[in-house]
Amino acid sequence: MHPNHHRTSRAPRRHPVALAAGLLVTATALAACGPSIGGADGGTDEETSATDGRLQAPTQDSPSGEITIWDRSGDLYAVFDAVIDDFNEVYPDIVVHHEAVDIDAKLQNTLITETDVPDGVFLDDAKVAGFAPYLWDVTDVLEPYVADIAQQKVDVSSLDGGIYGVPFDLDPGLLFYNATALEAAGVDVTQIATYDDLLEAARQYQAAVPDAKPIHLEQSAFLGQLQLEMYASQLGTSLADENGELRLESDEYRQILTWLDTVQREGLGTRAEYLSPSDVGPLENGQQVFYPWAIWFSFAPEQQLTQTSGDWRAMPLPAWEEGGARSGAMGGSSFVLPKAGENADLAWLFYEFLMYDEAGYSAVWGQNDTYPNGLATSIPAYTPAADPSKPLFGPVAGLGGQDLWTTAVTAGAEIPGGAPTPDWWAGAVDYLGTDLQRMLDGELTPDQVLEQATTDIQTNLVDR
Amino acid sequence: MTALLTTSTRGRRRPHLPRAVAPYAFVLPFVAIFVAFSVYPMLFTLRLSFTDWHGSGGAQWVGLGNYTYLLGNEAFWSSLGNSAVLWLLIVPVQMVLALLVAVLLDNARTRMRGFYRIAFLVPFVTPLVAVAQIWVVVFDQDYGAVNGVLNLVGLPDVGWLTTTQWAKPTLALLFLWKTTGFIVIILLSGLQSIEPSVYEAAAIDGASRSRRLWSITVPLVRRTLMFSVVLQTLAVFQMFAEPFVVTDGGPYGSTTTAGLHLYDHITRADLGTGAANSFLLVIVVMALSLVFVRLLRSED
Amino acid sequence: MVTSTTHRQPTGAEAGRAPHLPASAPRSTGRRWSAGTLGTQAFLVVLALAFLAPVAWALVSAFKPATQIISDPLGLDVTALTTENFRRMFSDVPIGRGFLNTAVVLLAKGSLTLFCAPLAAYAFAKYRFRGRELLFGTVLITLMLPTVVLIIPLLLEMKELGWVNTYQALILPGAVDAFAIFWMRQVIAAVPDELLDAARVDGCTEFGIFWRVLLPVIRPALAGLAVLTVMNIYNDFVWPVVAASSSRMATLQVVLSTLAQNITGNRIGADYATVTGELLAAASLALVPLLIIFIALQKHFINGILAGSVKG
Repeated sequence: MHPNHHRTSRAPRRHPVALAAGLLVTATALAACGPSIGGADGGTDEETSATDGRLQAPTQDSPSGEITIWDRSGDLYAVFDAVIDDFNEVYPDIVVHHEAVDIDAKLQNTLITETDVPDGVFLDDAKVAGFAPYLWDVTDVLEPYVADIAQQKVDVSSLDGGIYGVPFDLDPGLLFYNATALEAAGVDVTQIATYDDLLEAARQYQAAVPDAKPIHLEQSAFLGQLQLEMYASQLGTSLADENGELRLESDEYRQILTWLDTVQREGLGTRAEYLSPSDVGPLENGQQVFYPWAIWFSFAPEQQLTQTSGDWRAMPLPAWEEGGARSGAMGGSSFVLPKAGENADLAWLFYEFLMYDEAGYSAVWGQNDTYPNGLATSIPAYTPAADPSKPLFGPVAGLGGQDLWTTAVTAGAEIPGGAPTPDWWAGAVDYLGTDLQRMLDGELTPDQVLEQATTDIQTNLVDR
Repeated sequence: MTALLTTSTRGRRRPHLPRAVAPYAFVLPFVAIFVAFSVYPMLFTLRLSFTDWHGSGGAQWVGLGNYTYLLGNEAFWSSLGNSAVLWLLIVPVQMVLALLVAVLLDNARTRMRGFYRIAFLVPFVTPLVAVAQIWVVVFDQDYGAVNGVLNLVGLPDVGWLTTTQWAKPTLALLFLWKTTGFIVIILLSGLQSIEPSVYEAAAIDGASRSRRLWSITVPLVRRTLMFSVVLQTLAVFQMFAEPFVVTDGGPYGSTTTAGLHLYDHITRADLGTGAANSFLLVIVVMALSLVFVRLLRSED
Repeated sequence: MVTSTTHRQPTGAEAGRAPHLPASAPRSTGRRWSAGTLGTQAFLVVLALAFLAPVAWALVSAFKPATQIISDPLGLDVTALTTENFRRMFSDVPIGRGFLNTAVVLLAKGSLTLFCAPLAAYAFAKYRFRGRELLFGTVLITLMLPTVVLIIPLLLEMKELGWVNTYQALILPGAVDAFAIFWMRQVIAAVPDELLDAARVDGCTEFGIFWRVLLPVIRPALAGLAVLTVMNIYNDFVWPVVAASSSRMATLQVVLSTLAQNITGNRIGADYATVTGELLAAASLALVPLLIIFIALQKHFINGILAGSVKG
């Protein structure tokens, strides 16, 4: 045809991909001359943290300045936002910039770049330890209150002798149950004092309602691990001790896993992800009647379980052995104060007001525009605020008007301490969380879970 | 041609770029941005891959430590395996489907072509966070629409997102659904430059429609097809947002793709390992691309 | 005839595709595919519905009461339809600000990409110059490098430049991405050289050849690049979420991901249904401008120009 069309073809003789490969090798060799990593400021931060890393409260009479506070969007943002006015009545010269942000996505990067760092951030307890190098140690400012704070909450954000979070909520585990369905089946829940009793009650219920799978078994690897830590917290243990040593291979974990394994093997459990459609169905039709979960499950009968709303009740968790603790912590959050924030000391004043001033905590948990009945999905970690005789939130309609406050506060007081969260907790979900799900599938025994997860966590997380 | 070119002669009096200088001027704006915001961070990342930097404090030089850790790590290999399976589930299906649709849309006699072009692109432009919500609800085991339809025709429920054997096909379906529209557009742009006379001649020769597709269209868009295969190979191996929002890599890590696995290192602030992981991925993807380029070329 | 067209050996790496025959019959009569059959139409309709259904579900669900989206995802109670999700979403997140920021970034970054990428790709495809192969090899490596790994190095760079929380941080990184170069080079390489040489003989400037001859010829691919660029910029959230931590700079997708955080991290659960409703409302709203842009762009996917311009 027209051979001269190709006369001017300007193709590279070597193939570009091959060239790229060569380039990569060359660049690797040159990498040593590349940009430097870990600026001087980064290095000094770590060295000074041991001595200068402790936050001090401001000393002037009427402190002034501007603070930026990060919260995640949604109900809690609205609740905290409403308290700012009350705060400004006490501290008129502190201007609060309150922002709803995607904290998981932003915090790490903001801390690394040290630019526009917020003065205070709302953070899951499980994540506090991971950020500790960037955060103020709040041991000194917390001094006046620490004796009155639930031990579990102090331990959970402690690392190497420092405390890196101002505790917000205590999230006691409770046993939610469908009272109407259980009563109709003739099951007496007042007899449930231990997890063996719970098994027995589930068997009874299944005998009366043959297609029932009465006990919730969590199918999300993350929430399943969180719930496992609730059970462990009842026994005063957690994945690692205060020195970061793994303590998964223990009688406590073996007991918990064996119990979960029994529920699964006897066909007593509904495997579903927390409040997914597969979970809501059995909850609504009376097939799933026991839900050992954190207090925040109370939201479900209140708003999501429209058909069985009012049928549900909450009681303290069963104990692992007669007389043992009747609750453990599941989840919860704290406020952290980044060292790179300009006015962390003023942010501390904000959190001090929010958590330890009666006007503050009453506004958070009491009746407000967002929650006309009060915030019934957690209780304060500060014991003077968690007074059984002075409820902050009212009876919960979804729980048939039950006085959840008293139940939760009493249970919360039983949560043992001594359960710090290691900084690699979330990463462990890939191992422990996943192996736990394998066990519920019937593929692994409890001992195999403990052995395998311990090896994997040690190599891939602790030793990295 | 004359119509087009007479307009261009008007610019004659303006200072000319000599032909030898022109390419440098043309690449300059690109190079400035590219070097500053791609090459520089890439070199930084390369250097990072030889350190144990966790985002704070100083960095310790660990040589090839991160690379040897990954190469000896089961999770790294299974993430590559997951991506390879996804590639097999996605790319062949997508190429056939997209080519078929593109050929039909290239045909002037197909009605409502404008509507279809938009319809196939809609998933591509829908924000991923919304897609994730859609997928979780539509593929729910007990209440999802898909199982509802299966039940209607008497088939049992399938644990689309909750079982290891189905999670990958479900994720592949999401990726197919989301990106096929764009591959159609790429192939369409390739088809658009095929001369109609080629088809005309074939029609005169009496070639059947399927024969024409296979013996004329496919060879003519071979370069575009090869390009699409390489493009989707990159996309599948780098994929992280889709499994991140829909399955979070589960169940049991069966949807932890190569891209998500490296992202996990980064979210854990294990930046050195993340960097090393990404360069290992570059090598894998580069090798695969070379293979495809060779394969598609040798058919000549 | 057929064999001679399709089985010709390419003489170089770039010449894989047959060059265009300079003299061709008008396009309309060249079409001999009798594809307007019922089967074809049925296939396309079913496929298109499968592609549209999930998005339609999201759009409809945005108007359902939040709790119903979860409890009865497929049911539709027309009497219960509400704009409550939208109202709540507007009061919860700065979505107006998000639209504004996205518009600014889209305009600046989109123009940069759509101008710089074809221009540079033209140089790569049709000129010989020193460093071409080195440069293009580098482009290929960055194309193969997962972008997430560059985020922290880029952030540190933004910090050095003092650009965190600025428009330039949202606009410049990734403004001319490797893929755009790679694709455009691919497309431009297929354009016959004599078309460009003829223009040069006619006295066209080097830039004039690019602007007046080349761009019109590659219009379908340019439209494709526009779709990709607009989509990438509009829907990108990984970089904006970290580069614009202040809500003042939040783009639309940052707003969406802030909402989604409450779902993906379904920790508290206290407003799972509400947030799902708000998210679907925001996502539906976000989809509208994109659809308008694409409907406007779609006619450019068909090429009438090449055939017309080559016959002279």
